[in-house]
Amino acid sequence: MKPFNKKYANIYFDKKTLYTRSLDKNKFFDERIVSFSGNSFREWEAKRSKLAAGLMKGLSQIGLRHGSVVLYLGASHGYTPSFVSDIVGKSGFVFAIDIAPEVTRDLVAICEQRKNMAPILCDCNHPEEYKDFVTKVDIVYQDISQKNQVQIFLKNCDMFLKKDGFGLLAIKSRSIDVTKSPKEIYARVREELEKHITIVDYRELDPYEKHHAMFVVKKK
Amino acid sequence: MEELDKLREKNILAAKKKIAESVNEDDFIIHTINNIEELAKVTNVLTKRLRGWYAIYLPEFSRKVSDNEAFVNLILEKDRKALMQEMKINISMGMDLSKRDLKPIMDLASQIKSLYDLRDELKSYLEIVMSNYCKNMFSITGALLGAKLLKEAGSLKKLSRMTSSIVQLLGAENALFRHLKTGALPPKHGVIIQHPLVSSAKKSLRGKHARVLADKISIAVKTDYFKGEFIGDKLKKDIETKLR
Repeated sequence: MKPFNKKYANIYFDKKTLYTRSLDKNKFFDERIVSFSGNSFREWEAKRSKLAAGLMKGLSQIGLRHGSVVLYLGASHGYTPSFVSDIVGKSGFVFAIDIAPEVTRDLVAICEQRKNMAPILCDCNHPEEYKDFVTKVDIVYQDISQKNQVQIFLKNCDMFLKKDGFGLLAIKSRSIDVTKSPKEIYARVREELEKHITIVDYRELDPYEKHHAMFVVKKK
Repeated sequence: MEELDKLREKNILAAKKKIAESVNEDDFIIHTINNIEELAKVTNVLTKRLRGWYAIYLPEFSRKVSDNEAFVNLILEKDRKALMQEMKINISMGMDLSKRDLKPIMDLASQIKSLYDLRDELKSYLEIVMSNYCKNMFSITGALLGAKLLKEAGSLKKLSRMTSSIVQLLGAENALFRHLKTGALPPKHGVIIQHPLVSSAKKSLRGKHARVLADKISIAVKTDYFKGEFIGDKLKKDIETKLR
């Protein structure tokens, strides 16, 4: 078990698998927990989490630091948010937003055990609905498969992201347009993003996720 | 940090409240129709096993009755002798089983029968819920097809915002995207095929019938969602005159 990269706090690497140092000893999903020199580490599967897939593909920067405040759009059952909460640590915070009540039930159960997570049941397309429930944030992470996901991302960045804050955007090309090839769509997304925001890095997530890509951006 | 703690408490309370409020009739209908479909699958698998098992005892009977539900009911009602007399055969290929060996077969049959009863109960429950919740769509489609359309759309709200051409193709997404991607022939109907007007039509006319029906269903759903009056009879008449 050794640190994955000096830049990323709390992310560890051992024999082709990513781990995060766990804040507590709880088990939220059926993940493997490894004890090593007094700490417990949770296994982070790249096939279940796009952020982990991005790291495995070699993203040079993800912006997550100890103490970051994160706005997480499209939290679903809370698999990736729970690891983001590990990474930002006790002094950081994660606002996890999802639109579907069915999956938010699981999310609430996780947030009750974690002191640095809060669930929000809202539509990311209307940021004004939850503006009283979140603060300004250091990082916006978005993983929703919608046709207008780029516009939604930019809207949320405008409203909540601090200056010089990072944005992480997982693109699902199949939900933007099935008839076009993924490469074409990534090019289009890049063009659209560059009008408003600086692109730091970009990785395609094959073979972990088919037809997906991850953009890392920085607010000007 | 204290500010964030307060915000966290507020958010958890708000989320719990919203989740509790989000339950509505759509959820009841979708769970019920999903369960009906699962029951159909389960009973088919179990009856297949029952037929094979019962064939040790009386193979001729399994051949004669092809309907699963009737088969289960008949073997529970009558014993071997009565069934043989009914079929007018004296010697069977089957072996006369002892009580001990016959018991598991009959137990399985009675379990399958209870599953069929459950399905019937769910169907009548679905009819009551649908006729209150979306009476216009219910009068055109009936309970099962209406519930399937609702399930494919996700909720009555989403269904009411769909155009009739999308309603026509609900449930045929694979065929539609294959058409868009590769230029294969486009689909003419989705789950709407289960309506007797479409399924009984000639193959060349099915597209037309599906189109007319989807048109009226989408009007009916919009009326239901915005709590309009009952216009189901009028819509039904319109369909009949259009397809004459």
